[in-house]
Amino acid sequence: MIVNILQSVADGALMGCVYALIALGLSLIFGVLNIVNFAHGDFVMLSMYLTFWASTYLSLDAVFTPLITIPLLFGLGVLIYYSIIQKTLRERFVVQVAVTVGLMTFLRAFAQLVWEARPRALKFSIIQGNFPLGPFTVLLSRLISASLSIVAVVAVAMFLKYSWLGRSIRAASDDADAASLMGVNIRWTYAFAFAMGSALTALAGGLLMTFQQVDPTMGLRFGLLSWCILALSGLGSISGLLISGVIVGVAEALTVAYWEPRARSLIVYLIFVVILWLRPRGLFGRK
Amino acid sequence: MRRNSRGSWLLAIALAAVAAALPLAFLRNQYNLILLTTVALYGVLTSAWNIIGGMAGQLDLSAGAYLGLGAYTTATLLLRWNITPWVGMFAGGVVAMGFAFLVGFPLFRFRIREVWYALSSSALVVVLQVVFLLWKQVGGPMERLLPSASFSLYNLRFQSYLPYYYIMLVLLLATLFIAYRIRTRRLGYYLLALGDNEDAAEVLGVDARGSKLKALVIYAFLVGITGGLYACIYGFVHTSFFSPTISMEVAILGIVGGLGIIYGPLLATVILVTGRELLRAGLGGRLQSLYLVIYAVVLILIALLRPRGLASLLGAWRKERR
Repeated sequence: MIVNILQSVADGALMGCVYALIALGLSLIFGVLNIVNFAHGDFVMLSMYLTFWASTYLSLDAVFTPLITIPLLFGLGVLIYYSIIQKTLRERFVVQVAVTVGLMTFLRAFAQLVWEARPRALKFSIIQGNFPLGPFTVLLSRLISASLSIVAVVAVAMFLKYSWLGRSIRAASDDADAASLMGVNIRWTYAFAFAMGSALTALAGGLLMTFQQVDPTMGLRFGLLSWCILALSGLGSISGLLISGVIVGVAEALTVAYWEPRARSLIVYLIFVVILWLRPRGLFGRK
Repeated sequence: MRRNSRGSWLLAIALAAVAAALPLAFLRNQYNLILLTTVALYGVLTSAWNIIGGMAGQLDLSAGAYLGLGAYTTATLLLRWNITPWVGMFAGGVVAMGFAFLVGFPLFRFRIREVWYALSSSALVVVLQVVFLLWKQVGGPMERLLPSASFSLYNLRFQSYLPYYYIMLVLLLATLFIAYRIRTRRLGYYLLALGDNEDAAEVLGVDARGSKLKALVIYAFLVGITGGLYACIYGFVHTSFFSPTISMEVAILGIVGGLGIIYGPLLATVILVTGRELLRAGLGGRLQSLYLVIYAVVLILIALLRPRGLASLLGAWRKERR
């Protein structure tokens, strides 16, 4: 019994690290640009399909597909920023939502058009398989995905903290006007932050594909999930994001194992609503 | 001013008459009747959304929740106790209303706003979907079919879509009238002030919590009734009625129509939903989702180019003529 519970907790925690990576992208976009992006989950969905595409038609293993999908998503992010997002920066919040929900509809319909509505999965990846560890079973793909996610999250944190570009992103997030006076190119910084947030979903999508299938309606789940994690952690704390991702992942895994697989979203949203009521700034929020 | 208002009333009555006469043009074609009914249905949803979303400025994404509640209430009353949908849909409206109160009270009490309000209302739809999926006595994973009869006034079953269209049209006119009444009363001014700037409105003595709650409850009631009709039109209920997609679509149509303008959301619905359905029928076949791609692009373009909504186009045109 105890072993089973611990197994679920461990599986959920590994999954939660990938969730944190997705939420980090959203946190960058929301924290820096102050744009309410409803389409973030659909970027994940698109990344998963691109991974499928790259591994099927280019015969690349899922481990290497991020080398293609990350630049693709980064480029797409830049394109979407300059063509759509930039025009909504000074608009009211509802207009931003209308635009990003439109984008979400677009991405989903596009995926249905290109890859059809049925679920797709990778046939094989070199990191699939599992090994026993004492009484537990460790899924190799999940372990590697979680480790890579943590590495990526820490790398982004270091980048934001120590690099010149990272510092200008943080400056723009704190006070865009003041940063602009200090010689930070705001438009360029925003474009970079948005593209980086999108590119992070490419890595997450690639990792998810190694142990999951994808269908066009998945975007909504990842979108709401990453908003939940963001609400849980609050803005501006990277370690908070990881912890929140793990909390959500574990809650999901325990629900799936001990109650009802279909009720997992229920638990996540209950956590979300309770946090909104009791701690509107999140558990680890800076602002 | 007085004359202008009478002119608007005359125009509204004339448009309603045209809408009532429209099906006569293609009585034999059921497809066109379905199309008209769908447009009217979306018209009710978006016009009701306008009360909470447009006037009060609360970006509500839970239309699907109240639609589903109305549908399931109507279906359950009919299937278990053989209560006619004519009563059932109002019961559905009341259930949706009660639920909206239960949800809205803490949300507004804890001052959850903007993106967080939008997200929690969107989460609500998914939560209800799962609840009804697991609640075997009422919902469950399978469709629940309503009694099939070729014609039954008691069960609200008709052989043609024509009666549904007229019932929906009546509901649409009632919704528009309620929205108009609210807009011209104190509640409407409160809501508009809240939508404009919540903090400033509260400082001036607007009861934010109470006004928003009233708007939410009225909206839920109207959507709940629509849900009851929705179940009768389709002849079944299913958990997919709790649709986050429909909820978002209602909100986005309301936004691109023009926030707080009575006819704005209806205008957007008539143009965009008709366009979407015609595209769907026209493209059909292999390119099943192409219509949605085009629809999404059009929505984005309108939101970018006309952030004040489609109704602002009409406003500009009227100003020029004056």
